[in-house]
Amino acid sequence: MKRKSWLIALCFASLTVMFAPQSCFAEKLANTIDELVKMYDDTKCWECHTDQHDEWKTSFHSNPINSSLGGIRNFIMIGLAKEWNTPLTKAQILKCLDCHAPVVNFASEKLAVQIAEMIVTANDKKGTPEAEAVTKELAKLNVGCTACHNIKATATAQGLRGKAVHGKIYSASGYGNDEHDTVEAVELKRSIFCMQCHGIYSAPDGEKIQCNTLSGSYQDAYNNLGGTETCQDCHMKDNKHNFPGGHDKEIVAEGLGLNVQITQYRHLPGQVETAKNQKAWVPSAVVTAFVENKAGHRIPDG
Amino acid sequence: MVLDVTAKDSNGNELFKAEKKYFEIGVDTDRDMRYGAWQIKEIIDLTLPPMQTQKEQFLLNFDSDTEEVTIDVKLWYYINGKSGHVVHSVSETLEYEID
Ligand code: HEC
Ligand code: HEC
Ligand code: HEC
Ligand code: HEC
Repeated sequence: MKRKSWLIALCFASLTVMFAPQSCFAEKLANTIDELVKMYDDTKCWECHTDQHDEWKTSFHSNPINSSLGGIRNFIMIGLAKEWNTPLTKAQILKCLDCHAPVVNFASEKLAVQIAEMIVTANDKKGTPEAEAVTKELAKLNVGCTACHNIKATATAQGLRGKAVHGKIYSASGYGNDEHDTVEAVELKRSIFCMQCHGIYSAPDGEKIQCNTLSGSYQDAYNNLGGTETCQDCHMKDNKHNFPGGHDKEIVAEGLGLNVQITQYRHLPGQVETAKNQKAWVPSAVVTAFVENKAGHRIPDG
Repeated sequence: MVLDVTAKDSNGNELFKAEKKYFEIGVDTDRDMRYGAWQIKEIIDLTLPPMQTQKEQFLLNFDSDTEEVTIDVKLWYYINGKSGHVVHSVSETLEYEID
C-alpha cells in the first residue's frame, strides 16, 4: 500500500519529464501493434538523434522480421504445427522474436499470436495486397533505439542493475542531459550485451535455439586465443549505428587476409599418369594459399 | 566462403579446378543436417577460425605439352547460398619450357 502510493506520486511528479509518464503503465501489455510501438516509441528518438537513425535505418537491425520471414514462418508452420505438434503461443513465438523484435515481450498473448499469424500471411501470400499490408505492419517491429537502450540494456546484469525501467534511457556512460533521463549501464559497450542475441539462445523453458552461433566462437576461439577487441570495437567504430556485417564489402575485406605463393616446377617424367608424353618433363605448380581470419569469430557464421 | 583455384591455358581452356569450402553444418539431435533455428542443436564446424591463418596447398600437374598457364586464386564470400563476391584474388601466368 505504502509502496503503491509512492509510485503514484512518482508518476505525477514525473509527468513533466518527457518519457516518464509511460513508466506508470509499463506493466500493461499492448493489444495492437500500434499500441505496442507507442509503448516503446523510437520515433521520438529519431527526431533528435538523426545521425543514429539514418545509420540504423541502413542496418539489418531496422527490419529483422521481414528479412527473416521464411525462416520464422517455417518455425510456426513446420516446427510448432507439425514437428512439435504444439499450439502457437506467445511463449513459443518469443523463441524467435525475443531477439528479432524484443518489444513483443510487451504484447498481450493475443497480439503475439496475431503477429505470428501475420508473419505466415506475409510469407505465404507474398505479392498480394493482404501480404503487402501485413509486411508494412511487421516492419514497425525491429531492434531499434529502445530495444538496445532500454529493453535489453540491463538484461545481462539484472542482479546488479535490476530490470530496465520503462521510459529511461540506458547508455554506457549514463551522462545526463536536459532532454531525457539517462541511466548508466556500462555493459552496453561490452561484448556480452551483443551476445544476448548473437549466439545460442536458451528459452525460458530450456529449449536451445541455434539461429546463429557467433558469440560461441567469439568466446571460445577468439577470446581463448588472446583476442580482446569487443563486438562494438569492430562493428560500432566511432559509435556509428550502421552495424556493418556480412553485407558490407568493406568490413568483409578487412576481416579476411589472403596471401598466395605460387611456385613453378617440372615434375619427373613418367610419374604423372595423365600426361600425353610419358617421357617428357611435366609442367607443374604448387599453389599455397594462406587464408587469415581477422574477425572476432568464425567466418562465415550460420 | 570458398577458396577457388583454377588454371587455364592461353586459349582459356580450363586445365585445373579445385576449391575449399568453409561452412557450418547444423545438425539436429539425430545428427541429420538442418537449416531451422529450432531444429539445429549442434554444429560441425568447417569454418575459418578466428585469430588463425589456414594453409591450403594445391598440386597442379599439367599436360606435358603445356607452354603457358594462368593460375587464378579467388576468395569468395557468400552472404547466402546464391549471392557471393570475390573478396581477394591473385593471378599469375607461368611459362614452361617443353621437351
Ligand atoms: C528532445 C531531444 C531528444 C530526444 C527526443 C531523445 N534524445 Fe537522446 N539525447 C539528447 C541529447 C541532447 C543528448 C546528449 C548529447 C548527445 O549525446 O547527443 C542525448 C543523449 C543520448 C544518449 C547518450 C547518452 C550518453 O551516455 O552520452 C543516448 C544513448 C540517447 N540519447 C538515446 C536516446 C533514445 C534511445 C531516445 C528515444 C527513446 C532519445 N535519446 C531521445 C536528446 C534527445
Ligand atoms: C538469440 C537471438 C535469436 C533467436 C532466439 C533467434 N534468432 Fe534468428 N537471427 C538472430 C540474429 C542476430 C540474426 C542475424 C545475424 C546472423 O545471421 O548472424 C538472425 C537471423 C535470422 C535469419 C536470417 C538468416 C540468414 O542467413 O539470412 C533467419 C531466417 C532467422 N534468424 C530465423 C530465426 C527463427 C526461425 C528463430 C526462432 C526459431 C530465430 N531466428 C531465433 C538472432 C536470433
Ligand atoms: C543494436 C543495439 C543498438 C541499437 C539498435 C541502437 N543503439 Fe545506440 N548505442 C548502442 C551501443 C552499444 C552504444 C555505445 C555504448 C553507449 O554509448 O551506450 C550506443 C550509443 C548511442 C549513443 C551515444 C553516441 C555517442 O557518440 O556518444 C546515442 C546517442 C545512441 N546510441 C542513440 C541511439 C538511437 C537514437 C537509436 C535508434 C535509432 C539507437 N541508439 C539504436 C547500441 C544500440
Ligand atoms: C576483430 C573484429 C571483430 C570483432 C571483435 C567482432 N567482429 Fe563480427 N565481424 C567482423 C568482420 C571482419 C566481419 C565480416 C566477415 C564475416 O562475415 O564474418 C564480421 C561479421 C559479423 C556478422 C555478420 C556475419 C554473417 O555471417 O553475416 C555479425 C552478425 C557479427 N560480426 C557480430 C559480431 C558480434 C556479436 C561480435 C561480438 C561477440 C563480433 N561480431 C565481434 C569483425 C569482428
